[in-house]
Amino acid sequence: MSRKAIIIDDERLARTELRKLLQEFPEIEIVDEAANVDEGIDKIDLHHPDLIFLDIQMPGKTGFDLLQEIDRAPHVIFTTAYDEFALKAFEVNALDYLLKPVEPRRLADAIHKFSEVIQKETTGTGEFINRDKLNDNDQVFVKDGERCWFVKLNEIRLFESVGNYAKVFFGPNKPLILKSLNALEERLDEKVFFRANRKHIINLRMIDKIESYFNGGLLVELKGGDKIEVSRRQTVKFKEMMSL
Amino acid sequence: MLYAFFYWSLGITSAKQPHFFAQLLLEAAQGFVLTHIMRGTISETKLLQKNLNNQIVGVAILLMAFSIIYSISNILIELGLHIESPSVAEYTFGNKVIRAAFGCFMWLTIWSLIYFTYHYIIRSRQEEVDKVRLQALVKELELKTIKAHINPHFIFNALNSIRALVDENPERARTAITELSNILRSSMTSDKVETVTLEKELNIVKDYLALEQIRFEERLQVQFHIDEDTLDQPVPPMMLQTLVENAIKHGISKTVAGGHIEIISDFKDNHHELIIRNTGHLNGSANEVGFGIGSTKNRLNLLYGSNASFEIKDISTTEVQAKVILPVQI
Repeated sequence: MSRKAIIIDDERLARTELRKLLQEFPEIEIVDEAANVDEGIDKIDLHHPDLIFLDIQMPGKTGFDLLQEIDRAPHVIFTTAYDEFALKAFEVNALDYLLKPVEPRRLADAIHKFSEVIQKETTGTGEFINRDKLNDNDQVFVKDGERCWFVKLNEIRLFESVGNYAKVFFGPNKPLILKSLNALEERLDEKVFFRANRKHIINLRMIDKIESYFNGGLLVELKGGDKIEVSRRQTVKFKEMMSL
Repeated sequence: MLYAFFYWSLGITSAKQPHFFAQLLLEAAQGFVLTHIMRGTISETKLLQKNLNNQIVGVAILLMAFSIIYSISNILIELGLHIESPSVAEYTFGNKVIRAAFGCFMWLTIWSLIYFTYHYIIRSRQEEVDKVRLQALVKELELKTIKAHINPHFIFNALNSIRALVDENPERARTAITELSNILRSSMTSDKVETVTLEKELNIVKDYLALEQIRFEERLQVQFHIDEDTLDQPVPPMMLQTLVENAIKHGISKTVAGGHIEIISDFKDNHHELIIRNTGHLNGSANEVGFGIGSTKNRLNLLYGSNASFEIKDISTTEVQAKVILPVQI
């Protein structure tokens, strides 16, 4: 069954070249192309592709900027002619990238890897069920200074608001993303991600201990040791949700 | 040996003392031995490498110690050999020690001052030489990296475009390969000559812009206004090329709609003027452009001194202009 893909690159010839190479892979269907970030975002919203081939160096906004502007990052294979910084970031975080001119063999490896991953993720029909809310397996792109990651939502245990930003707690990392907690709350499944207080959203699946706290509130300890207070108002909601 | 000299000159004045030459010999010998031991002590304790305050303290202690050793040994030996001067024989032992030590201290201080000053002069000269050598090495490496100047981003993008053209437009692909090969060759040989003719440099620039036009297509408009008489003027190799690359890298490739680049060469006020005007603006990319601007100014300075100049500035909100002024060669 074929997966939908979009090619985003400002050079027409580069897009043509990649299309030509992808003819060898009938399981990948190129549904559209884009020549810059804004076009790219429109096309992604329109087609909801499973995969995008994303050039990094583009005029105006870069490939990274695009990923930070969309909520849910599809699978990404980066393309670049030569970008010292990006290559280091990718190798460290096992992100997939291709060097232009693209070697067919490397392309085959990347597509193979993608096919395996997406096989595990999607349901039988291969369609997204709930378009509006992000589900556990969705990944978000997070960039903090020179480091970047694709993080699955089910790996995130805590969001903490820091001014206009949110700190994302996953593994040993706590990078910042430019999103408010309110905006996040709208996109996250409230059965999994719970707004504990004004400053925190916690992943209910990552709770280790719950204790009573001052004023009718609760103190929740998450895996990894973070202790978060649940405000009194939210405690009422919490108990309703968790009760049998 | 200095000792002998000093004592000799002093001794002339008091030659009436009996045992004079014996004393002189003794003192010279002692001085010789002592100064050698002192030198040994200094290198053993690495006194010269400690910081200045420690050095002064250390030297002072050393001098006093050695003075006392000297005077005690001197007096004892004189007594032993019966070569003491009668004029001093009456003083107590302690008195004699202090007198002799004092005299010795003075001489030792002078000697030490000479010794240390000498060493400092030698050392700072050596440091100067090392510093100059290091600077020369750094400059050489800098120049090599600037000139052997292969821009990987451009090369790989060009190759990718050419590969796409092979099916779409084989003729264009062939000429593009030639253009790329010209640029690579010129990059490699640019450090062998001081200057090239403007004509040669323009050929490279034209090849480069032709390749970039394959990538950017209608997003790059190119115009040349070249006074024919300027074609045989000498210019530093790859300088114009670097400025054009900067114009594309920081100006045109940063704007979504692309832009234009104009290259002008003519004579003005007895100078040869090269102007590059392009879409873009300076403020954002001040840091990255810095390297190219700095090296351009350096090269012009090295070759022509104050007879050449370079400036780059915004001439409107959307345009940047770089101007190189060179002396005219007849």
